[in-house]
Amino acid sequence: MAEELAGTGAAASDPDGPDGVRMTWNNWPRTKVEASKCIVPVAASISPIRPSPTLLVLPYHPLRCKPPCFAVLNPFAVVDFAAKIWICPLCFTRNHFPPHYAGISENNMPGELYPQCTTVEYAPPPLDHLSSPPPPPPVFLFVIDTCIIEEELVFLKSAMRRAIGLLPDNALVGLLTFGRMVQLYELGFTEVSKIYVFKGTKEIPKEQILDQLGLSTTNVRHGAVIGAPGYPKSPQSNGFHPSGSVNRFLLPAADCEYALNTLLDEMQTDQWPVEAGSRSLRCTGVALSVAAGLLGACMPGTGARIIALVGGPCTQGPGMIVSKDLSDPVRCHKDLDKDAAPHFHKAVKFYDNLAKQLVNQGHVLDLFASALDQVGVAEMKVAVERTGGLVVLAESFGHSVFKDSFKQIFEDGEQSLGLSFNGTLEINCSKDIKIQGIIGSCTSLEKKGALCADTVVGQGNTTSWKMCGLDRSTCLTVFFDISTTERSNQSGIPNPQLYIQFLTNYQGPEGQMRLRVTTVTRKWADSSNTEELVQGFDQETAAVVLARFTSLKMEMEEGFDATRWLDRSLIRLCSRFGDYRKEDPASFTLNPNFSILPQFMFNLRRSQFVQVFNNSPDETAYFRMMLNRESITNSVVMIQPSLLLYSFNSPPVPALLDVASISADRILLLDAYFSVVIFHGMTIAQWRNMGYQNQPEHQAFAELLQAPQHDAQTIIRERFPVPRLVVCDQHGSQARFLLAKLNPSATYNSSHEVAVGSDIIFTDDVSLQIFCEHLQRLVVQS
Amino acid sequence: MESASPFASGPPRQRPAMVSNPTSVVQTPLIGRSMAPSSSVPLPSPFGSALPGFSRPAATPLASRPPPPGAIPQGPIAGNGPRIPGFTAPRTLPPPSVQPAPPSAASSSIRPPTPYASATQDSGLQSYPGSPPSGASVATLPMPFVGPPASQQFGRPPTSQPLFSGPPRSQPPFAGAQYLQRPMAGSTNSQLPLAGPPTSQSPFLGPPTSQPPFTGPPTSQPPRPNTPQPPFAGLPTPQQFGGPSTQTLTGPPISQFVGPPTSQPYAGRSSSPSQMATPSSQPFSMPPTVGTSFGSPVWPSQPGQMVPSLPGNVQAPPRMFGMPPGMPGQPIPPVLPAMGHSALAGPQVSTQSKIDPNQIPRPLPNSSITIFETRQGNQANVPPSATSIFVVKDNGNCSPRLMRCTLNQIPCTGDLLSTSSMPFALMVQPLALPHPSDDPIPVVDFGESGPVRCSRCKSYINAFMRFIDHGRTFVCNLCGFTNETPRDYLCNLGPDGRRRDADERLELCKGTVEFVATREYMVRDPMPAVFFFLIDVSLNAIQTGATAAACSAISQSLADLPDGPRTMVGIATFDCSIHFYNLRRASQQPLMLIVPDIHDVYTPLHTDVVVPLTECRQSVEQLLESIPSLFENNKVSDSAFGAAIKAGFLALKPTGGKLLVFQSVLPSVGIGSLSSREAEGRTNASAGDKEAHKLLQPADKTLKTMAIEFAEYQVCVDIFITAQTFVDIASISVVPGTTGGQVYYYYPFSALSDPGKLYNDLRWNLSRPQGFEAVMRVRCSQGLQVQEYAGSFCKRIPTDIDLPAIDCEKTIMVTFKHDDKFQENSECAFQCALLYTTVYGERRIRVINLSLPCTSMLTNLFRTADLDTQFACILKQAASSIPVNSLSQVREQITNLCINILHAYRKFCATVSSSGQLILPEALKLLPLYTLALVKSIGLRNDGRFDDRSYWASHVMSLSISLAVPLVYPRMISIHDLTAKENDGSLSSSNIPLSSEHINDDGIYLLENGEDCLIYVGNMVNPDTLQKLFGVTSVDGLPTQLVLQQFDNDLSEKLSDVMNEIRQQRCSYLRLRLCKKGDPSGMHFMSYMIEDKTAGGLSYVEFLVHVHRQIQTKMA
Repeated sequence: MAEELAGTGAAASDPDGPDGVRMTWNNWPRTKVEASKCIVPVAASISPIRPSPTLLVLPYHPLRCKPPCFAVLNPFAVVDFAAKIWICPLCFTRNHFPPHYAGISENNMPGELYPQCTTVEYAPPPLDHLSSPPPPPPVFLFVIDTCIIEEELVFLKSAMRRAIGLLPDNALVGLLTFGRMVQLYELGFTEVSKIYVFKGTKEIPKEQILDQLGLSTTNVRHGAVIGAPGYPKSPQSNGFHPSGSVNRFLLPAADCEYALNTLLDEMQTDQWPVEAGSRSLRCTGVALSVAAGLLGACMPGTGARIIALVGGPCTQGPGMIVSKDLSDPVRCHKDLDKDAAPHFHKAVKFYDNLAKQLVNQGHVLDLFASALDQVGVAEMKVAVERTGGLVVLAESFGHSVFKDSFKQIFEDGEQSLGLSFNGTLEINCSKDIKIQGIIGSCTSLEKKGALCADTVVGQGNTTSWKMCGLDRSTCLTVFFDISTTERSNQSGIPNPQLYIQFLTNYQGPEGQMRLRVTTVTRKWADSSNTEELVQGFDQETAAVVLARFTSLKMEMEEGFDATRWLDRSLIRLCSRFGDYRKEDPASFTLNPNFSILPQFMFNLRRSQFVQVFNNSPDETAYFRMMLNRESITNSVVMIQPSLLLYSFNSPPVPALLDVASISADRILLLDAYFSVVIFHGMTIAQWRNMGYQNQPEHQAFAELLQAPQHDAQTIIRERFPVPRLVVCDQHGSQARFLLAKLNPSATYNSSHEVAVGSDIIFTDDVSLQIFCEHLQRLVVQS
Repeated sequence: MESASPFASGPPRQRPAMVSNPTSVVQTPLIGRSMAPSSSVPLPSPFGSALPGFSRPAATPLASRPPPPGAIPQGPIAGNGPRIPGFTAPRTLPPPSVQPAPPSAASSSIRPPTPYASATQDSGLQSYPGSPPSGASVATLPMPFVGPPASQQFGRPPTSQPLFSGPPRSQPPFAGAQYLQRPMAGSTNSQLPLAGPPTSQSPFLGPPTSQPPFTGPPTSQPPRPNTPQPPFAGLPTPQQFGGPSTQTLTGPPISQFVGPPTSQPYAGRSSSPSQMATPSSQPFSMPPTVGTSFGSPVWPSQPGQMVPSLPGNVQAPPRMFGMPPGMPGQPIPPVLPAMGHSALAGPQVSTQSKIDPNQIPRPLPNSSITIFETRQGNQANVPPSATSIFVVKDNGNCSPRLMRCTLNQIPCTGDLLSTSSMPFALMVQPLALPHPSDDPIPVVDFGESGPVRCSRCKSYINAFMRFIDHGRTFVCNLCGFTNETPRDYLCNLGPDGRRRDADERLELCKGTVEFVATREYMVRDPMPAVFFFLIDVSLNAIQTGATAAACSAISQSLADLPDGPRTMVGIATFDCSIHFYNLRRASQQPLMLIVPDIHDVYTPLHTDVVVPLTECRQSVEQLLESIPSLFENNKVSDSAFGAAIKAGFLALKPTGGKLLVFQSVLPSVGIGSLSSREAEGRTNASAGDKEAHKLLQPADKTLKTMAIEFAEYQVCVDIFITAQTFVDIASISVVPGTTGGQVYYYYPFSALSDPGKLYNDLRWNLSRPQGFEAVMRVRCSQGLQVQEYAGSFCKRIPTDIDLPAIDCEKTIMVTFKHDDKFQENSECAFQCALLYTTVYGERRIRVINLSLPCTSMLTNLFRTADLDTQFACILKQAASSIPVNSLSQVREQITNLCINILHAYRKFCATVSSSGQLILPEALKLLPLYTLALVKSIGLRNDGRFDDRSYWASHVMSLSISLAVPLVYPRMISIHDLTAKENDGSLSSSNIPLSSEHINDDGIYLLENGEDCLIYVGNMVNPDTLQKLFGVTSVDGLPTQLVLQQFDNDLSEKLSDVMNEIRQQRCSYLRLRLCKKGDPSGMHFMSYMIEDKTAGGLSYVEFLVHVHRQIQTKMA
């Protein structure tokens, strides 16, 4: 059974399998030393609430192992049906089945014990059906930047209108706009439009915000009658503090749709004058902290999202990233490297605190940044990532990247992102395994235990993480450490399998509480047998994990030389697992399980994740956040785009990501994840420009033109955020989107004569071939 | 008239019509905007209908009046000053000469008290002319007493002086005059009363009447102010007058005064007491019947009574004065209004009873109109009393309305001044409302170059600058510097040494001119007229109806804001946060912008918080209508007043403007929040009164600091306090006090009776003549220097005061000190320059000039002392010292000041008289009464609430002279018998002394001080009268919150007329309160009975005795 499961990773058509767990090594090195020799860290990429058609939902509470293990009963447990006892595979504790499991037998097993149900979801009914309130509705608090040009505001309004139309009727909606000041709309006040205005230059503590809004629980200031002591502490039906007239600000969509639309109609761009030579004053930081403060009045546990639509950099108050003076440019990577970005650290600190507050409250920050210049995603990243928020970076509120992505948030059914709230992830594993931490959209809950490793990667020092927001595609990377020593191994009962259990508690889109339990097992590799390790290697996952790990190191470690580190890792890996004769580059071969890795590494070295200098800090932050939260498959595409080739007389075929794939009579479809490029060869472009596709006799040509478009749409539809679609022709200016991703096998330096219709890339970068040659040479040098 | 309005450019602004609340019970409705204030109201709104400008009886009457009264033309005026008894004979002398002329001239100039005029006419007496002669005779009556009173009455008496020229020269004239007159004319009585300077003299009116009968003796009597006296007539009159008269005659009188004197005169009275009672009533009643002049009416009754008494009186007096007899020759002694001296002398023990309360000096208002020429014959005329009605002809000196001095002759040395003990200050009311018939203030445009100024002291060109050297240079009258005349301003001199164009150039012949300011006088474009309303919407304000009242008042007042595109308005409300409103929204709903941070406030919008009224009137009105309902259920009881005004300020910061705040509770949160100090004060009070005054000081400096910043940006704050509890006015009033604003106080606010006043106050506040972003400076001749400015303003540099706003009512007191000597015959000049922006956005410099003669004679100082101005000065000084000193100290200071002044006079100007006499300078004869009233005023009473006291103090600081006097010494009239009084409805004729003995249980009385109006209903009032006035049949049926309605009957209409007249006169709607005998409200009313003996204070008579005794002590 275990073996079957172990193989699922790479083999199955669904690479993630029903568990949504992929590991760099499916056969684990036994010892720490061995693990370190493996170069690629032992890590698992998990998709905690990945939808699966085969998922079993159990309408009762899970059965748990004794403390401190708390593992949930799973198919790997050894069950003694006669004695009504099960033995926990993680800690080997014997547990009695409770009375209501009395009917258990080999022929009458509960769902969680079915071997194929390594992942099950518990949806226990509420404890008492009658009195319990309906699940709290989701809360959407829109935070809108008004320091934008009129045209952008029009786009933004139309996006908002569409979103409002899509909101479920019971969803609570709030509205906040900001520019030089922050305006919070009291939607529940019908006689007039009531707006609370906050100054944009001052950081306001949460308590003060609540106090100023009349929401503070103590209500000292307002001397209100409600909220007096003695009022039941239990949550109200709407999930708010009893005193909270939060529903002054947050109204069911059905009730405030009209008001919202009216407000949108009247919404103007920020009216404060902007001096010549200055940026408009924008207080994104205060706006977000006011929004967070307001949500603070909601009961913890209410799923709430702050949806921030930002059109420019924060230029005043906390979170400021650049001064209002236009002569002062927004920080770039170089500035960050040189520590020459005066506002950066302060802003990051501010957002870090904001993140803490939001995590405490269990609320999510989503960021939709639409601007030609940077808006401060790099600083805000921490708040977005810690809370599990979504982030979309676009050029304009009118651009489809924004428009369609924004719309997707509110869609349900097939298109739904499955936005969920209030997730907590707990990881339990066999005792020789320690957890270093997680890279991804979550926050450590600092719940230390025996399972915590000494070295920390990402969010560590815990066995429990908070995910304020998570969705169907949310993906986390867990880094493990092996703590077994030879001695402990001998003393213990030799067990060829290791077990890891992931428990994800979350509140689904409809508000229902769920617990998903995924239990996986892997095999310990025989310490003497490299073959086992090689067989269990997942190179896609390894590439992605390395990418994520490198990105993290680049952010955390000063002066970290990513390229060099990657090169060395690759060389060491190859020298450990490759077959070669020393000092003979030509003899070098790699097992198929490793064979594409050098190419991944080659592309990773050239990717936006490592080569930051061609990107703004905002873009880098954005790319990395996406890299961290997407599935392995998608992440691989980010690292190494896929290229499809369309030509007459053949179906679309994958093509080499190489400049050589360009040909005048072909159409290329590049999926670089963030952008999808349709590239017409010169001839094709000419034909198209001449309108052949419109002539009945050239229907084949029309179909050829249509095919990549169709495929591109398929890709776009499935993806969030929506990628930018670039349609370009060979030698056109937009062609750079393609060329930048191709292996420069032909450059202006190459001596080869250029074939007609093919292309070259103007770069000094080495090509994959040269890279591999070098690799071989270095690997074989002892 | 238009031209007269200070704002030449703008359309003339009228006083707001006070809307009376006639018909409907609820006032507010009446106020209804729909109604044109004036027209709509059933009762002619006082101001509105009746007076276009400020209609007062005014001009026309004058015109109509027969010249006779006028007789005392300028001459008299000059004389007036001197009148004062004692006054330097010499001085007087000159007048005499003048006077002679008067008679003849009389017809033309007649400005003298028209009233008299009428009286005289009626009586047919020759009035002054005649009097003088009598004066001569008087002269013989050396006694000041007699004389003085007489003179007082005659006020104008000066005229008489001249007559006396010979012997009487000095004071005698007056006294004598009176007497003389009487004798002579026989009919004189009338004259006398009239003659007296309206204010003071009026009291005597009564007497005059009596006099006639007495003929000979009567002369003496006339002085008696009180008509009532008639009863005593016999005794009293004689005493007073007689006294005097006699004095002159006989030596013995003196004795009387001294110890015994009291006995005599009073004795007489005492005997008469019975009479008194009746008389008192009579007097009033009597006059009415007559209808004609005051004097005349009296007669009838008096004669009979009087006559008999007279003889005796006459005799008595002589004895008393015994001493004086010798006096005649002496100019000085006569001075004193010999009033009670005798009584006083006697003060001890029994004496009191002997003093006839009806004989002691009391103000005698006069409703007649005089014409005042500011200068004549190149001499400054002594202005009429500030509380009288007069028309000003500006011929060199400014109108006394705009600026007047406590002394109409300037002491040559500081020593002389300090000897007199009198305060020396200028009261400047730069935008004071003119009388409709006043000379308009001319606007002079010097074009690009701006007004000509002295190049050294920067004073502005004026009529007193002397051009020399064929006009090529001119000498500054302030600093003496010789300036080159600008080329385009050159003009030759005429044979008289004046520029040939002096009469065409208004700045060279008028005391007050307005220069058009050039760019040089502007830091920026003149600011628009911006009004920002801040309304308290906290729980208390909503529940008491204060918010609704404020909104309604504002809404109705919008129509009174200056027209034009430059008028901007803004509205915000506040409780524990501040709510702004976007007024320029197209949408149907107002947009409320809440500023919740009350520790660090800001404006929520850059634009649209303050909007042009013409564009957004509708949305503003709509908003005001909805505010009360928006906050209907507001549960917030806190008030962030400090933060709110700061926020309002920020909204006004770019332009400056007026911030009008409606506040209902103690500011409890946010910037500048305050604690309920009063409670602490109470508990501490037991520990001793020592620290109590600290509660009248601002709690801290926060508001002061804010206010200074406001002033810097030309933001003026007015605060309307509609409170039910302590709100710490001491702290709050700092803001208006520093920004040129003012506090309005409605305590306890009543939604029933107060909205009317609130509306009218607001309306007047917005529509009265006013200016913005003003800077004022007073310059004076070398030899003096400005010591201090006092009033509502902000002072950042020592020489100038900044007035973010200045209006027609704000008065600034400027005190001076000597730093050098003046030459005896020189003149001392004062120039006040006010640079301001009109509501129509014109930048103007109003230059007000006053040039007064210098004197080294103490008697001149006393003769020309200006009682009202001095009193206003004392009042303001008292107000500014109550936060610093304990009440008892302040009261003592005031009393001592009074004593010192009288002592100085007694010692240096009336040395001849007996030490047993209390001798009062004619001009200051009411000083003791006013001093007593001040000591008993709200501000200085021990039992006052702190807020009341603070309000009083802040109110007083910028109060005009004409309102200062009534505030402290209110006016009381009876209203149950209004219809019985036929005297053309003028109020002044029937004032009742503020003494409970004049209050009858079957009477209804109205007492007003320009702020409050108390209607006292006795417990035995005729139900019919109640029905007529209030629509109820019994006293018990009277509502506690009075809303005066007009019923369809004479009495009610009459009362309405009276109310309207008062309102118009005071430019205040007056807070009506009903007081019933026997309940606390009745006690409240009685606390205004200043002449009564109270737990905390002496009766008037006792006070006079006290003063006299103190003087005697000092003399010894």
